[in-house]
Amino acid sequence: MKQLLIDYKQILSEYITNREEQTLYNGQNYVRQLIQKNVAPEDLVNIHRKAVADIYSDLPETLSHAYDFLIEVMVQFGLKTREHQSLLIQKEELRIEMEIAARIQNILLKTAIPEFNKLDIGMISKPIRKMNGDYVQFIHHEQNYLSVAVADVVGKGVPAALCMSMLKNGLETLEYGNYDPSYILHVLNRIIEKSVDDGMFVSAFYGRYDIEKGVLTYSSAGHEPALYFSSKFGSYVDLESKGLLLGVMPEVKYPQFNIKLEENDFIMIVTDGVTEIRDCDVIEARSLLKEIAFSLRHLSAQEMCEKIYAELQRIQDYNLNDDFTIVILKK
Amino acid sequence: MELNVLFHKEKNKLKVIIEGEVDTFTAPKLRDQLDTIEINPHVFIELELSQVVYMDSTGLGVIVAIYKKVTRQNGNLKLVGLSNRLKRLFAITGLSELMNIEADVKVV
Amino acid sequence: MNDKLEVTINTEWDIITARQIVRETAKSIGFDTVDQARIVTAFSEIAKNIIMYAHVGFIKIDIIKSEVNKGISITAIDNGPGIVDIKSVLDESNPKGLGAGIPGVRRLMDTLEIESNIGKGTKVHMEKWLR
Repeated sequence: MKQLLIDYKQILSEYITNREEQTLYNGQNYVRQLIQKNVAPEDLVNIHRKAVADIYSDLPETLSHAYDFLIEVMVQFGLKTREHQSLLIQKEELRIEMEIAARIQNILLKTAIPEFNKLDIGMISKPIRKMNGDYVQFIHHEQNYLSVAVADVVGKGVPAALCMSMLKNGLETLEYGNYDPSYILHVLNRIIEKSVDDGMFVSAFYGRYDIEKGVLTYSSAGHEPALYFSSKFGSYVDLESKGLLLGVMPEVKYPQFNIKLEENDFIMIVTDGVTEIRDCDVIEARSLLKEIAFSLRHLSAQEMCEKIYAELQRIQDYNLNDDFTIVILKK
Repeated sequence: MELNVLFHKEKNKLKVIIEGEVDTFTAPKLRDQLDTIEINPHVFIELELSQVVYMDSTGLGVIVAIYKKVTRQNGNLKLVGLSNRLKRLFAITGLSELMNIEADVKVV
Repeated sequence: MNDKLEVTINTEWDIITARQIVRETAKSIGFDTVDQARIVTAFSEIAKNIIMYAHVGFIKIDIIKSEVNKGISITAIDNGPGIVDIKSVLDESNPKGLGAGIPGVRRLMDTLEIESNIGKGTKVHMEKWLR
């Protein structure tokens, strides 16, 4: 500490006489010594006080009190600055962890959109935060069938993501059985009900499309009704299906229904992030969605999804407040 | 918009009046408030929802949680004063088939 | 000056009175202005924690002596809720709740030890020696 004081006093008195840039630069280099010797901010104030007292022998006592005050404040300031910095470091660590988790989730939940010439498939799924609470899975099995699952886990972020992994595993285990949608939801419900806490649940739509016959067999677990557009009648039908949310009760039966698609008909499966527009009634929001999709019906299913997303974002000032997923199956 | 939860005890019935928006941010507050209710087989809880202007799925989660808790203890839970919007939410999620929901909806 | 002093901490006024006693004690031992400020700040942080989490507690201030050196010891005792995970409050990378100030306080002193029983209370003991 003694050497530090001697060095500081020299630089300071030099500066007081010459006021040169070179001396200020020397002062900056002096800081390196302070860091190496782990000197606290209050120590530097004390060094300054002693140097000033040495240079001006007639320093008034009151000025010395002023330095005492600065030292006192500096100790507290150093303490609080460090606390704040360690909070920032912790926040940064969390951010990095989230980043990694989101990347893993992306890989885990990635689903390839199958390609057929008899059915045009489009999909968009945008998380509101890093982790997506919506999940889409396509399964193409036995050549003749395409299955699609669209699920929305209540809540957002990490808890939703954990629940989602469970859902994905359940679906993949059932994948090759080519079971009825009602059976699949029944089993998924049992899996989820056993392993989530009371406030957690999942809404899901499950559809199995018979490519040759053009028939979609579907079932819903508390999910926002899918929309069926009939090209022949130029109108929509809500695919209402009364099935309880997954994870609320242990044994639940899910009814299933069939719908035959004709040329240019399409099915639009959405999550509630699409139809829940704040200050806008759900019925109004659904009408809006229907109108937008109608005006885009000449486009490919994928283009429709993207354009609908862009339009709904624009209407809400690019300020959506939930995960957003649309799947379109178009014949 | 804030969320307010008021408790009103009537004879053997506990009326819980919920006012405001129940969303991701306010749902934890509602859950904490509902967690303070002592649940036993004789309890009769009525959730008054006519002043709820908005409820998202997180809010629904809180209602499902209290329903499960009360049902496990053989208690009773009833929802009253649902707006059309809420009524639709409970219908679509299949919850209206499960829960005791006041049939005639008051127009608010 | 007495070698042993005890103060009850109940309000912020108690902290101010006690700070004065701590400062006088540190000064009488021979600590310089900077170390006096450090000791008083460390004491203040611990006393604030008592008011915030336990509402009331008492603090003992002792002059400690070895064969060659002298120092000050401060021991804070409360009957508050206690600390569940002492390791985490001492861990600088985990600054939560009560722990927020602890790693910083430890740096102001030479040693800091925590003993805690859940539901019974907490004892924080810290020392600083003359250099």
